[in-house]
Amino acid sequence: MAEDLLRAEHISKRFGGVVALDDVSLTIRAGEICCLVGENGSGKSTMIKIISGVYTPDEGDIYINGHHYKRLTPIEAIHEGIQVIYQDFSLFPNLTVAENIAINELLASGKQVVDWKEVEQIAREGLARINASLPLDAVVETLPAADRQLIAIIKALLANARIIIMDEPTTALTQREIQALFNVIRELKQRGLAILFVSHKLNEVMEIADRTVIFRNGKKVLDQGAAGLDIPTMAYYMTGRRLDTSAVTFEKIDETAPPLLRVEGLTLHGGFYDVSFELKAHEVLGVTGLLGSGRTELALSLFGALPADAGRIFIEGKEVVIRSITDAVAHGIGYVPEDRIREGLFLDQPIADNITVTLIERFLRRLGLLDLRTKSAEAERWIRHLEVKTPSGELPVKTLSGGNQQRVVLAKWIARSPKVLILNGPTVGVDVGSKVEIHELIRQLAHQGMGILLISDDIPELMQTCHRILLMRAGRIAREFRREEITEQALNAELVAAATVESR
Amino acid sequence: MLKKAIRTHEFIIFLILVALSLVVGIINPAFFSVSTLFDTLRASIVYFIMSFGVLPLMIAGGVDISFVAIAAMTSYTTHMFLLKLGYEGGTLLYFFIAGAMGLLAGLLMGFLVTRFNLPVFNVSLALYTMWYGFNLFFIGATANFDLPQGTVGYYARFLVTAKDPYVGQTGLHVSIIYAVVVGVFVWWLLKYTIIGRGLFAIGGNKEVAIRSGFNVNFIWMVAFALMGVLSAIAGVTQGFLSRYFNPVLFITQPLDVLAGIILGGASITGGRGTVIGTALGVLLIQIINRALILTGIPVQWQKLVVGIILVVFTSIPAIRAQRARRLRRTTEAA
Repeated sequence: MAEDLLRAEHISKRFGGVVALDDVSLTIRAGEICCLVGENGSGKSTMIKIISGVYTPDEGDIYINGHHYKRLTPIEAIHEGIQVIYQDFSLFPNLTVAENIAINELLASGKQVVDWKEVEQIAREGLARINASLPLDAVVETLPAADRQLIAIIKALLANARIIIMDEPTTALTQREIQALFNVIRELKQRGLAILFVSHKLNEVMEIADRTVIFRNGKKVLDQGAAGLDIPTMAYYMTGRRLDTSAVTFEKIDETAPPLLRVEGLTLHGGFYDVSFELKAHEVLGVTGLLGSGRTELALSLFGALPADAGRIFIEGKEVVIRSITDAVAHGIGYVPEDRIREGLFLDQPIADNITVTLIERFLRRLGLLDLRTKSAEAERWIRHLEVKTPSGELPVKTLSGGNQQRVVLAKWIARSPKVLILNGPTVGVDVGSKVEIHELIRQLAHQGMGILLISDDIPELMQTCHRILLMRAGRIAREFRREEITEQALNAELVAAATVESR
Repeated sequence: MLKKAIRTHEFIIFLILVALSLVVGIINPAFFSVSTLFDTLRASIVYFIMSFGVLPLMIAGGVDISFVAIAAMTSYTTHMFLLKLGYEGGTLLYFFIAGAMGLLAGLLMGFLVTRFNLPVFNVSLALYTMWYGFNLFFIGATANFDLPQGTVGYYARFLVTAKDPYVGQTGLHVSIIYAVVVGVFVWWLLKYTIIGRGLFAIGGNKEVAIRSGFNVNFIWMVAFALMGVLSAIAGVTQGFLSRYFNPVLFITQPLDVLAGIILGGASITGGRGTVIGTALGVLLIQIINRALILTGIPVQWQKLVVGIILVVFTSIPAIRAQRARRLRRTTEAA
């Protein structure tokens, strides 16, 4: 039996009237990868903050390395070897790799003058610990997310971490980078470190976990060795309901109907080359590929944000020219962006305004004034229709959970009733329960006659929503699959194969 | 290594400086003279000192415009005070009194920013107005030309002198030493001290700087104190170089100084900036001034030209980023 590094026992935490954690215990052992899983609001973030000393629990005890704490401060947590790697990696984008790695050690030394040779030496030692090679004098903001994450891990190691907590570490990574991260995590485990891997991506949990802990509504509902756990079981414990994905019915497509959207030889230099496909009404067409395969560029190009250099686009048989987003919207194309926070929402603005912003000209009266009553009625209709969970449409969007925010982005575009809707990673950062509902919504939209282009690298998602899937590789469409002709495993293998081709 | 140096912002500014000088020199050979060099440097001294004081704040992400008002308030108040006392000594006491006032003015601003967590620009806008108002209301509303006996000859105290074919005897004023010393100090502070690295850290990501254990408020206070002291030194120096003290000294100049710093590669949102770049940016603006006079282009064009260069320069990072993105895509697609 491995040594228990940390035991949090009978922890409860309330915020005002809301119970965030209710009598929850968690043990972290040396040389073990423990995955903490739960939907948004299940209490996993609260737990991280309690064991890293940010929050003080209302009840319960924390034992770390045999020391007993009633209240733990962040400094004590760090001294006990607990390091949290947050999603933002806590780095300085404008400083070099070397300085980012060395900065904590410099500050801890209490010296007021910086010795740059020492900085470089600390950085080299840090890189050597995980056998990584990064350019020491590169500015961090120029590096991909995976490299920045390595720096964050190195910083944790240099702080003599015994327990490394990773909060949703794979969100910004590509498939290939995730595999590289997993290798680093396994390496750390070999050396006896404890890893608490916090995620709601169940396929990743399946792959990496030695032990899986699941929280739901502030309670621990499962804590067992990973062997014998499968994704449906985990999803059941997470959501408290059986998410039946096997019996999904797909919309029938009229194969003889003329295509809604036809693209011929579309090319954007440096993005994608000679892309041709057809999309019919009622059809969900998946586009997959690795980051950098051109999938996002293709989506942005069809939406006019990155106009193509060559090629033709036809909508309902008529050739159209899309040089700007305004053109795309005028031709009935809607786009739900990958990064809803940055590109899809006005976070501080009311939910209702976010939904109606694409329709604003419909509410114009004489003198160019807005008819606010019709506008809020329309917003309310969409909030009800898409089941956005909020007490009022007048609250800012940032008060919503990830899944509900995504519904608002969808509502904003669906409200315009586009002919073609492009969805770019519609469930990135959304928990399992909301994910299933968004998939259901996509199928409903297809049922109503929309043509949907779904850009995603989430293979189960593609398999549960798409009729056909295009695989992009190095800017070209490499393969086309019909859903019924391929399995998840085979599609995954194709995607990984694409990775090895590109990494050469 | 060399290739990297050539791609830096500082090198581009330097090339522009050289190119501009060549063009002007070809049109009017009088530009290539020792006296032009010395005059340009003389006119730049106070701007060097002020911009070196403002640069650390800008690196930390704070935009200040009150430094010009601090320069005016400290220099004019010190002068009028010593005049009343009948002081006839040298320049040193001026620097001490004004410097101390500048320190206090800087600390006051730092207090307002750190204690109440106010945006630097808002506070500086208020203090900019307040310090000029203080001068005009409490001290005096007219420029004063009476210099103490011990300071009268200071304006023509030269470090080196030379014969110039066009204007005869010419010299480089000793106060260039202040600018050099200040520049070296600020460069050292920024590169080799925890405070300096903290300024970059705060400008890069303030939350992370706090979490990493930088004493953020202390670092802010140091930066404000430095800005206050250097503004005072610049104000006094300007008074002696021009041989009068002005209650509204530099009142129209804060944006010119900020323009020099931004031309030199500092980012208005923080995290970026160098002493060398700032010095080159200040020099560039001064040379443009002179170039237009020497080539016979109306002075009114100066602002337009500086504006155009600023537009080009502020777009360069964006254009580069775009190109880098495209290049990255192409390499992945290749």
